[in-house]
Amino acid sequence: MSTSYLHIIRGLTHDVIQHKSFVVSLFVLVNIAAVSVGLVWPKTYTSSTTIFVEEKNIIQPLMQGAAVATDVRDRAGVAKDLLFGRKNLNEVLDRAGWFKKDTTEIEKDRLMDRVKARTKILNVGRNLIKIEYTDSNPERAFKTAETFAKTFVQESVGTQTHESQAAFDFIDSQVKMYHEKLTSAEQGLKEFRSQTVDARPGTEEEVQARINALQNTIEKTSLDLKEAQVKEASIDKQLSGEAEMTASLTREAQYASRIAELQSQLENLRLSYRDTYPDIVRIKHQIDDLKEMVVTEQKQRDAARKAGKSGGKVVVDESVRVNPMYQQLRRDLYASKTNMETLKARLDESKLLLNKELERARRIHSGEAEQAELTRDYTVNRDIYQDLLRRRENARVSRNMDQDKQGLSLKINEPAFLPLQPSGLRFMHFMIGGILLGMILPVAVLFGVQKVDPRIKLPVLISEKTNLPLLVVVPHLTAPAERAAAAASLRWHFAAVLVTLGFVATTGVLRAIGAI
Amino acid sequence: MSKIEEALKKIRAQGNEGAQKGMIDTRRQLVKSADPSLESRPQHQIVRMSEPRSLSKTELINSRIIFPAMDDTEVVNAFREARTKILQATGGRNCSILVTSVSNTAGCSFVALNLAVAFTFDEARTALLMDCNIQHPAYHELMTGNPGPGLGDYLEDETIRVDQIIHPVGIPRLRIIPAGREPTPDREYFTSQRMLQLLKGVRERYPDRYVIMDSPPIMEAADTRILAEVSDYVLLVVPYGRSTEVQIAAAVKAIGKQKLLGIIFNDEPRLPKLLRLGRRQAGSAGS
Repeated sequence: MSTSYLHIIRGLTHDVIQHKSFVVSLFVLVNIAAVSVGLVWPKTYTSSTTIFVEEKNIIQPLMQGAAVATDVRDRAGVAKDLLFGRKNLNEVLDRAGWFKKDTTEIEKDRLMDRVKARTKILNVGRNLIKIEYTDSNPERAFKTAETFAKTFVQESVGTQTHESQAAFDFIDSQVKMYHEKLTSAEQGLKEFRSQTVDARPGTEEEVQARINALQNTIEKTSLDLKEAQVKEASIDKQLSGEAEMTASLTREAQYASRIAELQSQLENLRLSYRDTYPDIVRIKHQIDDLKEMVVTEQKQRDAARKAGKSGGKVVVDESVRVNPMYQQLRRDLYASKTNMETLKARLDESKLLLNKELERARRIHSGEAEQAELTRDYTVNRDIYQDLLRRRENARVSRNMDQDKQGLSLKINEPAFLPLQPSGLRFMHFMIGGILLGMILPVAVLFGVQKVDPRIKLPVLISEKTNLPLLVVVPHLTAPAERAAAAASLRWHFAAVLVTLGFVATTGVLRAIGAI
Repeated sequence: MSKIEEALKKIRAQGNEGAQKGMIDTRRQLVKSADPSLESRPQHQIVRMSEPRSLSKTELINSRIIFPAMDDTEVVNAFREARTKILQATGGRNCSILVTSVSNTAGCSFVALNLAVAFTFDEARTALLMDCNIQHPAYHELMTGNPGPGLGDYLEDETIRVDQIIHPVGIPRLRIIPAGREPTPDREYFTSQRMLQLLKGVRERYPDRYVIMDSPPIMEAADTRILAEVSDYVLLVVPYGRSTEVQIAAAVKAIGKQKLLGIIFNDEPRLPKLLRLGRRQAGSAGS
């Protein structure tokens, strides 16, 4: 640390004593200047009023959930906008008596700007607005502040009524609009329903079930039909070849047993007779005939088989026709054919029905989307409409309340007052400020000079800065004459300070009693 | 005021007494004082120094000369301290000390004179103050009446003897060689053999004599540098608040560090008595 505070203070004190003329004259000058400024400084009077604003917004509770109103935090800003509007400001100035008959528009404009500049509108608390007006005339300050407050309350209440009416009107218009929308949605739904009868809720499932049933029927019928066809083919086969053969075999068997019978008779006769014996010969002839008949029968049977295989018309002889088995088969065949015909017809019918149902299902699908849309529109509109209806009733009540001044949420909390004491800088401030500045300024100047002055005033700096031995510090030796002169000079300076202080005090007193 | 006056009277009475005693002593030794044969006995020479008159305290105060019983003890003590330090530095041997300053208004003559006076406080020492500032002589005021020949005369006129330019001024054990008349400027007096002889003579004549030379500011006169060379030691007077660090450094450079005894910070302003609080600490920190 090159210079301690003590050194600085000491140096300053030396400087003050050395340059006491400068210090004292600066003190005197500053004081005279301060007093002069204080004398010409205009007196200002401030009147203020506070207004209590209840936290209430008419549209907010009404439109809760349906619409969002902006949250008003800066009440003073709103009040400022309201009051500083040209219309309201004009009214305030007119009522506060600023305008005279011959005030021109330009002058009015200028006055408005001046009043605006001197008016402060502040948020004091959460619900308090402070309107403050400063003027050189206390009466006018009071009147202007009062008018501002009154105008604000009036305008706000007017605005509120207007606001609630506007809210009602708005909701009413919305109700009408939604009513129209709802009606049109209903109409659309009705038309759609009349156009598509089968488009009822649940039809789709029904149609699907029917389609399923029809498909089942078709499958079953097809199976039955196939079965019947197989059955018919089988009976037909039986009827065509097998019956002839059976008859022919029966006859051959008869011939074979006759031949065997005759053969045994022949054997017996041969035992006793010769071959020429007539009986034997006749039996022999008989056997031959029978054998021939067997062969014929065999031939006939082969032919029938061949004919049966080639599908040719089989001549069924009578003996077969009367055969009960044959008859049975024929009956079965006819029954089977009838059955087949029936099944075929059923299959066709089922297929037709299935196509129809499929067509219907397609129709239902496209109709359902349209219907859903219409229904949705209808539901939404209906809900909003009902909601709005309820809100309209609330708004009506609010509006009526405001019209009857029931919902007043604004009142003057602290009325404007007539200011008796001037506000702002008063003469006393100038007096005290002048004295303080007069004391501080010279010292500050000297301090500044000391800071930039390179000349050495502190002995400690010699050894510190030049690194040379400091032998001794010789204080100033005052000669008696010098001392007397110094004392006289000090007295003069002291007297000058006293005179200045006296002057300041006297001016202050004169000012206080109102002489100046 | 009355108390101070009483005190002054008292001091004056004592001083007169001492002066009268001195007068008696000097009268007794008057004849022999000029005798060169006595130079080898220094201890007895001092008492034999003639003191034609003694300055009163008022005169001293008005001439801004210190004396031991002064009210302003701070100044006296400062010079005493300076003297003690010089004695310490020189090892008690007598020497010639050049007192010069940084600037013209540094109070160089005041310091030189009072330093010389401080040496004479000790009854065993004498001081010779030589005014080498011929253009601005400082001590002629102390010489009442015709100051007589001075240094200038001596250097100019070879017929003038040394004892003719040494004058008493009314302060015990202090002799002064005044500046004398201004010599013609075309000669370098201080480098002359006569000047060197003078210096040697006055210093060696009495072993207890301290020669103090007052000179012009070192940066302004070439003479001072010459004197600095011929003198044993140099003291630099720095005035309060009038010289910068650079000026001091330049002056020191001109003198040469080996001869510089130290710096005397002169004319430090003093606060009115009421404001002297803290002065002690600051002063002690400064020294």
